[in-house]
Amino acid sequence: MTWSAPIWIYLWLAGMAGGAFVAGFLASRFSGQGQKPLLPMATVVGIPLAVLGVLLLIVDLGRPEWFWHLMTQFKALSPMSMGTWILIAWVMIAFVLVVMWWLDSRVEEQVASLMKRLEGLLAAVNALLSVGLISYTGVLLSVSSQSLWAGTVLLPALFVASAVSTGVAMLVITALAVNWATREGSSFRVSGHTVAMLAEADAIVILIELAVLIGFVIWLVISGATDALGVLFTGAMAAPTWIGVVLLALLIPLGLDMAARGKPLEGGVVRTVLMSSFCVIVGGLILRWVITIGGQM
Amino acid sequence: MAEKAFLFDSTRCTACRGCQAACKQWNEYDEEIPTVENGVDARNRGSYENPPELSPTTWLRMKFTEVERDGKVDWFFTRMACMHCAKASCENVCPTGAISHLEDGFVLIDQQWCIGCGYCVQACPYHVPHKDEHTGTARKCTSCVDRRNAGYEPACVKACPPDALLYDDRDKLLALARQRVQGLRAAGNDRANLYGDTELGGLNVLYILEDDPEIYGLPAEPVLATRNAVGQWLSGVLTAGLITALPFWFLFKRKRELESTGGGAR
Repeated sequence: MTWSAPIWIYLWLAGMAGGAFVAGFLASRFSGQGQKPLLPMATVVGIPLAVLGVLLLIVDLGRPEWFWHLMTQFKALSPMSMGTWILIAWVMIAFVLVVMWWLDSRVEEQVASLMKRLEGLLAAVNALLSVGLISYTGVLLSVSSQSLWAGTVLLPALFVASAVSTGVAMLVITALAVNWATREGSSFRVSGHTVAMLAEADAIVILIELAVLIGFVIWLVISGATDALGVLFTGAMAAPTWIGVVLLALLIPLGLDMAARGKPLEGGVVRTVLMSSFCVIVGGLILRWVITIGGQM
Repeated sequence: MAEKAFLFDSTRCTACRGCQAACKQWNEYDEEIPTVENGVDARNRGSYENPPELSPTTWLRMKFTEVERDGKVDWFFTRMACMHCAKASCENVCPTGAISHLEDGFVLIDQQWCIGCGYCVQACPYHVPHKDEHTGTARKCTSCVDRRNAGYEPACVKACPPDALLYDDRDKLLALARQRVQGLRAAGNDRANLYGDTELGGLNVLYILEDDPEIYGLPAEPVLATRNAVGQWLSGVLTAGLITALPFWFLFKRKRELESTGGGAR
């Protein structure tokens, strides 16, 4: 099999990094200053995920020492070429943002206000790049001749929904971990209310993902790609698809998020939200696995 | 430079597989005998066809198809190798530009530039290129560019005893193929057809077939992997930009409004 573990792990990591950035950016923008720590949190956790993904990609090449050949081309038609540039730009801007956020409290006020505006601009640019990044993880597969991947236009939509869902789940886990590790009043903390809203947002994204998955299946059935679909739902990948994707990535976290909805974030509710987020993240990995491997069968 | 091509005439092919052997020999892959020990599934699958698929070391194979009709078995032979498409999916998706068209229309993978990402393997509608674990690169028929540059015919063409395989200017071969197909039809075979004239912008391997392309294992309407690239990008971007953004807008924006009007958090 040409594309194996490094590829599907990479698609999952890049999706999670980009998804968390999009989620952090939207939450901060829509709510004003209230969720300030979310975007830096998404960025700081996202960078190592994206870099690890890139390393996996390079290791998976037949000639890893020639990876720089990628950087001699800019081919709009080749999703891998576009993805390379998006990833490079995303990691660089994310890194600059982290440095600037760190400097914020360490420079004079006039410089700081100028930097704030630049940070806002860079964050918006990277949010757009994140959309490109998470879309690319699906487009990479769908621009091909494998019927499971190319038979519909819904694979990028499915991967995007999963990327945002896993990204939000990662933000929830990170926020809870930071809250647990820091004292009351620390500027790194995220309010319990915000975490609860993230979990609620994830439930809606999961519903969207479920709808896209159903559309994906119906489209493939109508277009006659039932063999490809059979691999996923009744064939070699059936167990991971039903248990990993349908249950772990979608139905179980949806149920858990519903159970936690509207309740104050303490004790058992925290555990429920945490459990839901872990399910989403593991389920997202299994989704990349069954699609990447199933498409080549 | 005139555009060159191969012509495979299935009515002349005797399935001796001389082309398959010549390809291996010229490209020095003759030591890789397709056996179970060499990692190739060489079990009896009820066909004389062997190996079952193209591989990093098999760039040309004869595909055998047995079809039972009215109690009789019809036996079809096809040459399976790179089609050298004018609109080549592999070339389009190759992120390093290692895959390109030669001036005479053939598609070549530059072995000094390919990084072995495997994208061409996924994109080819004929499943031709394969990633070679030894060289780390994607490999396929080179159109014997080395032989042709030295003034020789491609190895497969040179080896073909009944001249079922020809190499010449594409125009000339196209005219000849049309004439032969016309002859077959005049002789009563309504299904006789020419494959490769228009598929994917015109293949540089032309086929004279006695029956529908699917019977030979050739897709009747092969599609370019990048044909719908814009739609695929839009699918991802719109989902991210509109659909998944909605819950955040709905939840976080509402909270802000509640707070600014003094309503407080829920």
